[in-house]
Amino acid sequence: MKRILLLLAAIPACSFSAHAKINVVATLPDFGSLAREIGGDKINLVVLAKATEDPHFVDARPSFVVSLRNADVLIDGGAELELGWLPPLLQNARNPKIEIGKPGRVQASQGIRLMNVPANVTRAAGDVHALGNPHFTVDPIIAKAIAQHIAQSFSALDPADAAFYEANYKKFEATINAKLQEWGAAMSPFKGQQVVAYHDSWPYFAHRFGVNIDIFLEPKPGIPPSPSHLTEVIAQMKAQKVKAIIVEPFHDRRIAEKVASATGAKVVEFSQFPGGLPGTDSYVKLIDTLVSRLAAALK
Amino acid sequence: MWEVMFWPIVACVLLPWLLVYLGLHVVQRGIIFIDIAMAQMASLGICLAVLFHLDLQSWTTFGIALGFTLVGGAVFSVTGKRSSQIPQEAVIGISYVVAAAAAVLLLSRAAEGDEEIKNMLVGNILLVTPHEVWKCFALFVVVGVLHFIFRRSFLLVSFDRDGAYQKGLRVRWWDFLFYAVFGLVVTSFVRIAGVLLVFSYLIVPAVCGINLATRISRRLLIGWVIAWLGGIAGLFLSFWWDLPSGAAIVCTFGAILILISFIGLARHRGAR
Repeated sequence: MKRILLLLAAIPACSFSAHAKINVVATLPDFGSLAREIGGDKINLVVLAKATEDPHFVDARPSFVVSLRNADVLIDGGAELELGWLPPLLQNARNPKIEIGKPGRVQASQGIRLMNVPANVTRAAGDVHALGNPHFTVDPIIAKAIAQHIAQSFSALDPADAAFYEANYKKFEATINAKLQEWGAAMSPFKGQQVVAYHDSWPYFAHRFGVNIDIFLEPKPGIPPSPSHLTEVIAQMKAQKVKAIIVEPFHDRRIAEKVASATGAKVVEFSQFPGGLPGTDSYVKLIDTLVSRLAAALK
Repeated sequence: MWEVMFWPIVACVLLPWLLVYLGLHVVQRGIIFIDIAMAQMASLGICLAVLFHLDLQSWTTFGIALGFTLVGGAVFSVTGKRSSQIPQEAVIGISYVVAAAAAVLLLSRAAEGDEEIKNMLVGNILLVTPHEVWKCFALFVVVGVLHFIFRRSFLLVSFDRDGAYQKGLRVRWWDFLFYAVFGLVVTSFVRIAGVLLVFSYLIVPAVCGINLATRISRRLLIGWVIAWLGGIAGLFLSFWWDLPSGAAIVCTFGAILILISFIGLARHRGAR
């Protein structure tokens, strides 16, 4: 018993002192993947949510509290997406290094103009996030801003390697800039086309790539589809000849398939998170996959 | 480890004693799913509060939730007839499904995202705060004292209903009091530990006790030991293997129950 306790106590201690890596915790896999781009092998990275998990609901495990307690940097969305599960974890971890305002806390939404900020927050509108839509990382230009923010944080905490982080950011920025041309070209034939999504997670993606994603299978965010709403969606889809329905791994695919078979549209599996689809272990590969899947469905 | 697991362990030491005791009543009465039905009633009350845009942490919301459990208690005490064709468990089951379905309907109108309600209803023992533990403990002490003062009547009504009627006890009223207090205990513990854990703490130690002993005091003692063992062992396992804590405790209880059943069986054989 005692030996196991000692062993457990030793794990975080030795990993820190031996390599002096920064301990980074990311709430969601998209932030984790950006942290990896910037930090490379100079960080220990823990990502709390799984890529296939609904980011609104994440089951806490003891290691989450331990990771947050040992973290030098915490990267979270800062826009209430993790509202249901992060605050109690932070309360238990009581780690002053990752408090809001410290260099060890990166709130991805900082400095980003969020879309669909509700004029007045009322519960009647559904599971609306008061600060605006929090699913912003799928816009590559926003991802660049988050990556820069992460690089600044890492440099502040580990000035010796600041040049390394800065170089990684520049590399990421250049990749995204080049890719944006490619993605834009792939999506340009479908400008203005209507796409249906299960949940309102895609306004940033739609805005960036020029499609409209403003019909949803959910009547209101977080509320399960009702028969009358689905009937209305099917009618709208037929009128506008919609070709694609976007679902994420944690949504009920059968509902999307039912609507698809009623309208002749295709169900397209999407994910906001690197790792949520096969072959998407980095951010760039994820956007590659999303763009090519959507383009194939809209053709 | 202690920094993370200290308060969960405190909760698992300080709180289950009352649940084990109430569990003996529940198992004896054969109303195993009463806790889940009661918790669902309370959540229906909270859904109503959501519909009227009340603050979920306020006393009004708590009052509404409590009111719904009282209604549940009244229903169960009226339907628990002395000799009825319809088993009490059927009424409990029906109350559960109707309350659950009504909650779905209310939420579809209220249009609240269900995160907050889920949080409100289903606690996570890993993330329990000292404040919650002490509040719940204080309530349990009050309820425990009440049950201790009126132990004769409560026990008679649960364990010997015919005797209770013969002695001229107002069984319905005692039933109602039992259910009302029970509802209060269950709803407050569900908010700390979740539905699965409440159910296990009520039923598993009681069943183990009944398996191994006949006197109520001995059953209670066995139940307490098992509740403490299972809770603390489950928390340790959850830490070592990094598992969701509530589910780890429940499975530990399952394993303990299987072990105890074998012991009971062996003893039974030996006695023959």
